[in-house]
Amino acid sequence: MEERKLTEKESLELITSMIARTKARYLGSGNILLMWGYLGVIVSALVWILLVTTRQNIWNGLWFAIPLIGMPLTMIMARREHRERGALTYSDKITSRLWTIFSLSEIVLAIICLGFAVLGGINCWAAMLVYSLLLAPGTEIAQGLIVREKSLTAGGTIGLAIGFLTLCCTMGGIPLGANWFMPLFIFAFVAMMIIPGHILNNKAKHQK
Amino acid sequence: MKELNPLLHSQLRLAVMSILMNVEEADFVYLKEKTESTAGNLSVQLDKLASAGYISVEKGMSGKRPRTACSITELGRTAFEEYVDSLRSYLNL
Repeated sequence: MEERKLTEKESLELITSMIARTKARYLGSGNILLMWGYLGVIVSALVWILLVTTRQNIWNGLWFAIPLIGMPLTMIMARREHRERGALTYSDKITSRLWTIFSLSEIVLAIICLGFAVLGGINCWAAMLVYSLLLAPGTEIAQGLIVREKSLTAGGTIGLAIGFLTLCCTMGGIPLGANWFMPLFIFAFVAMMIIPGHILNNKAKHQK
Repeated sequence: MKELNPLLHSQLRLAVMSILMNVEEADFVYLKEKTESTAGNLSVQLDKLASAGYISVEKGMSGKRPRTACSITELGRTAFEEYVDSLRSYLNL
């Protein structure tokens, strides 16, 4: 393209052509979702095995490995993805902010739960589990609607259903037994992160 | 009939503005690919648009590589919309 004057008709054609070049629906790769998904499955399986074999609640501390590993990795991966793509759309910005709000609220809730545990000796860590299983699927459904990707909406809906079940069990005083709840939790990660992540990667491969 | 903005009524500058109207931010390499222009020419036109206050250009580093990120300003958005309105009246659309 050169620097030259245009006729009015050529101007209109150029604007139309540039809009067409940039408006292609960009889903992004599913690598970040896959990272969270596999990290969640590995940590959940590890906690499950250790709880069942040793019967010591201390292993629940391993749950913190998910945000401690996942959050820095997400920042690195998102930066690299943005650099490779070269442009940031409005929907990228909105979905990124939605997940940032979710992450920050998780940190605040973790601090509150820690405060309850340290100051009052009250164990309310289940609140984090319920909150994660309600807000993460909600955020994923929102992302799916924004980028018009059904696998995200469907995965989020399954996660939300598991979240509602967890909420009702917690409120109803039904213990979240490792034998039935942990497989369900792992299934939530598979449905919400791993399956949509592979679908997104597959679509991204065909977009290139 | 309103005169077409001379700053936008040029091929490469109009192409850049059309792209930036559609994205929040685009880097130099992305703009170069989409407009199929040369680095030197694009750089000159970006400077002209930035001097007019139509775009903001941020130079920084991305990892070990230099990165130039461009985004449209409110002034640029308004100028582009006025330009399109003028085009419509010229073409009786």
